[in-house]
Amino acid sequence: MSKESFSQISPSEFFYRNRDLAGFSNPTRSLYTSVREFVENALDACDQKKILPDIHMSIKAVDSEQSDPKHYVLTVKDNGPGIDPKHVPHAFGTVLYGSKFGLKQARGMFGLGATMAILYGQITTNKPVTVKSCSDDKTADEFVMLLDIQKNKPVILKHNTKEASKTGLSVSIVLEGDYSKAGSKIRDYVSQTSLITPYASITFEDPSGEKFHYPRIVKEMPSPPTIIKPHPHGVDVETIRRMIVDTHYQIPAVDNKMIEKVRKELGQKKNLTNKDILERAQKKWSDLSRPVRTIIAVMSFLNVDFDGLKKIRIDDLDVANKRLTYWDFGEAQSHAIDLDPESPYYKQLANTVQGDTLLTFLTKRFQRVGPTTAEKFCEFAKLKPERRIGSMTNEELVRLADALQKFDDFLAPDPSCLAPLGEEPLSKGIMKFFNPEFASVIQRSASAYSGFPFVVEMGVAYGGDIPSTGLKVYRFANRIPLLYDEGSDVVLKIVNEMDWSRYKVKGDPPLVIVSHICSTRIPYKTVGKENVADRPELERELKNALQFLARKLAVHMSRQGAADMAKKRANLYAKYVPLISQFVTELSGKKKEPNYKQLIKMGSEIEEQIQ
Amino acid sequence: MKNKSNKQKTAETRKANLLSVLEKHGINIYDDLDKGKFPQFVIPSRSVNNIVYDKKIRQYILGNASAIRSSRNMSQLRSYTQLTWLAFFVNRLVREGKSSTLRDIYYSSQAFSIDFEDQPESDNIIVDLEAVTSSPREEFHIFPEERSSVFGDLTIEYTVPGYEGKRVNLSDHPDGYLIGPSLSSAELVDTSAELVIAIEKGGLFTRFVEENVHKKFKSIIVDTAGQAPRSTRSLLKRLNQELGLPVVILADGDVYGEHIAMVIKSGSANAAHLRELTVPDAKWLGVWATDIEKYKLPTIPMTESDIKRIYDLQKDPRYQEGNWKKQLEVFLKLKRKAELEAFSKYGLTNITDKYLPAKLEESKSL
Ligand SMILES: Nc1ncnc2c1ncn2[C@@H]1O[C@H](COP(=O)(O)OP(=O)(O)OP(=O)(O)O)[C@@H](O)[C@H]1O
Ligand SMILES: [Mg+2]
Repeated sequence: MSKESFSQISPSEFFYRNRDLAGFSNPTRSLYTSVREFVENALDACDQKKILPDIHMSIKAVDSEQSDPKHYVLTVKDNGPGIDPKHVPHAFGTVLYGSKFGLKQARGMFGLGATMAILYGQITTNKPVTVKSCSDDKTADEFVMLLDIQKNKPVILKHNTKEASKTGLSVSIVLEGDYSKAGSKIRDYVSQTSLITPYASITFEDPSGEKFHYPRIVKEMPSPPTIIKPHPHGVDVETIRRMIVDTHYQIPAVDNKMIEKVRKELGQKKNLTNKDILERAQKKWSDLSRPVRTIIAVMSFLNVDFDGLKKIRIDDLDVANKRLTYWDFGEAQSHAIDLDPESPYYKQLANTVQGDTLLTFLTKRFQRVGPTTAEKFCEFAKLKPERRIGSMTNEELVRLADALQKFDDFLAPDPSCLAPLGEEPLSKGIMKFFNPEFASVIQRSASAYSGFPFVVEMGVAYGGDIPSTGLKVYRFANRIPLLYDEGSDVVLKIVNEMDWSRYKVKGDPPLVIVSHICSTRIPYKTVGKENVADRPELERELKNALQFLARKLAVHMSRQGAADMAKKRANLYAKYVPLISQFVTELSGKKKEPNYKQLIKMGSEIEEQIQ
Repeated sequence: MKNKSNKQKTAETRKANLLSVLEKHGINIYDDLDKGKFPQFVIPSRSVNNIVYDKKIRQYILGNASAIRSSRNMSQLRSYTQLTWLAFFVNRLVREGKSSTLRDIYYSSQAFSIDFEDQPESDNIIVDLEAVTSSPREEFHIFPEERSSVFGDLTIEYTVPGYEGKRVNLSDHPDGYLIGPSLSSAELVDTSAELVIAIEKGGLFTRFVEENVHKKFKSIIVDTAGQAPRSTRSLLKRLNQELGLPVVILADGDVYGEHIAMVIKSGSANAAHLRELTVPDAKWLGVWATDIEKYKLPTIPMTESDIKRIYDLQKDPRYQEGNWKKQLEVFLKLKRKAELEAFSKYGLTNITDKYLPAKLEESKSL
């Protein structure tokens, strides 16, 4: 979408208009999506702080007499780290507020899940959200809030603080839902979540009061992912722009403290004129800190002393276009002045705010880029390594972004930001969940698509308690069960393309496949995070994992076949030899049956001949 | 009157032979079990490769290949047991003089936890035992459900329990006598007949009785009810063999009719393991393809499958020469067929008054 259309409406408004995409298309789907968003936030929060999650979720009808769709109270409570009370209104009252933008694997990605659910509840029932959070195990803050959709801003209706003993957070919303239709999906979601999160304990109380409890299966949590810098292949122009903005040297806030600092560095206590200040600064320039240099340069252009400086707020320093914009508190209006490029201060300022050289930018801000690679890249991109990134033109930025995509000599993405479940917990989860006669799991080594690392974990389970109703696939991405939109999913595609008969699997086998894709960016097809798009790299990894497991299964099947055969053989001889004996005793006119016992034994021991 | 007092106890002897063969198998298996050896049956192979046409005896017979049904082989254990059970069960049937049908056998097996999946499976085991003992199932007292009948001056003596020694003359009842277990196991005592006429259809059989064909032609009339069942072929064989009566056959004027005659004469590939069922001297009187034109019979067109059947039979070694070959060719040329009833166009008795004498005359030169 174009920039204009985005700026005309607030993000809340935008997502309100686009709620279908985010999984809030109807009361059934919305109830399910809300459950997901809150449970996933709770698990994310626990994961981040390595706390073994204890999640309680309940759905209660406001008026159980009514028929669906009707109003429900959805509450999700966790034992995670909670949120600092200062941030609660923002985390839950604005969209695109998230702490998970850093590059590492988490369930949440967009910073809008919780807010969307809250918005949906508010729109359908006009009831506020209640968030109770304790982040220090001393006090818990309870907020009752409505969201201002137009302004993307929370309106706090009530806030109180109480004593508390444990950290954790609970969210409660009232929303229109249809549990009679969404119930089975929600129960599936909860149970499948327990499969892929075997280290969590999850309790769900449904509207009828029935409790579903999934106890913790493993005590160890998978090691948490580290936050890493982006891979050059994984960034686009927008991302680069964002990165450049925050490498820009921040214009320091001009407050009393700052003015004190400038005075101190200049070694002057009393009031100085603008001229005095500049003179002193010139002499001591090399000893001055960066913020102080910036302030002095700004003072030179504005031609003000400390008192004058206190009356303004610097809003923007556009070095490339040589403009300085500030707000004059006295006049209560904004001013812009042109910067004189000939001035020595301009150069100083330019160096400070234009940020790092391209070379430094590449090595400092991206993962696995060393000086040699960076130089080679600059040559490839036809950009000077010493070029300051803050002064790049739009066209140059596009060229940079383009080249970052095309340059082949970057190292593969660093997978340390991923947190796959691990073979052992996955296997334990599968055993507990399906109680199969055979199971096998594999974790593939990391791979990457377009600069995003990913890891595929897969498990197969056969027989035992699994019903013979044909192959069933359980899809997970970043430990989220994916239950909707199966048809277009890449995992389904790979599984369906498989020739199972080659692996001794026939008919409607009691067979389950558990697929888990971990990535800093799962290539979801929609914001609703339900199905994964096909990327050749991903497809290849899935296929390899599946083939590996299928071979394991085939070995089991033939071993099982042999064992079954021996058992069958023993049964057959035990059944038929006595019959033969009975018949021939009469046929031969004998009185006593022959001694056939040894033959039964021999029969069951004959080696199967290879045909 | 043909009297065969010297061969009086044929049925009796055959019974004794069968029982001793069965007992011998029983003893062998018993001993194997006792010694810890896996017992087995040697069964002449009935696979297509082992069915050969014997020119000398003019019938299909089994070659020398034989299959082993061994209890050592797990996949054969069940059918081995089934075969043993059948030997055991037939032994009882024969000793007790009871008879049963193919279907009975299938159901009887269930009392002994011999799990036949379906009747075709049990039918197959019966054929196995026929091959093992070289005796037709009629000797096991096992009969198919379909029955054909016989009429004429023939005295038989029952051997079935309760009727032992009782004699009956087969001209006493004008509908004829069913060729069932008691008739099949009866001794053929004597007859005044000089000929056996086998006829394909029940309707014509009745007509022949009404028209006193048995008297006019001194004959025993047998209704084969289509393709002759094995009990009927077995009776024809005995009439021919034990009483020395020539056998002639009347069937519809089509390729199936021709083959009905051929099967009576030289057997079917299905029964290549048995030699008691053929009448090599039997003569096919008609209706020939050439008769259709000669007697100006009303015809109906052949179907697709009639024609296909002709091509099939042309590959059979028995149709490679003489009249058999010639008639097939004419049928193929005509592509039309005529039923025995077609003679009714010229009056109901035309077939017995005109056609039959003419063909009997003609057959003398065959
Ligand atoms: N239960 C919780 N405990 C602690 N922090 C939470 C909890 N729930 C939400 N948060 C904080 O609120 C932020 C906003 O959550 P939200 O669901 O809107 O976005 P997200 O999870 O980052 O992304 P997504 O839109 O994909 O769900 C989170 O990033 C997290 O910092
Ligand atoms: Mg979220």
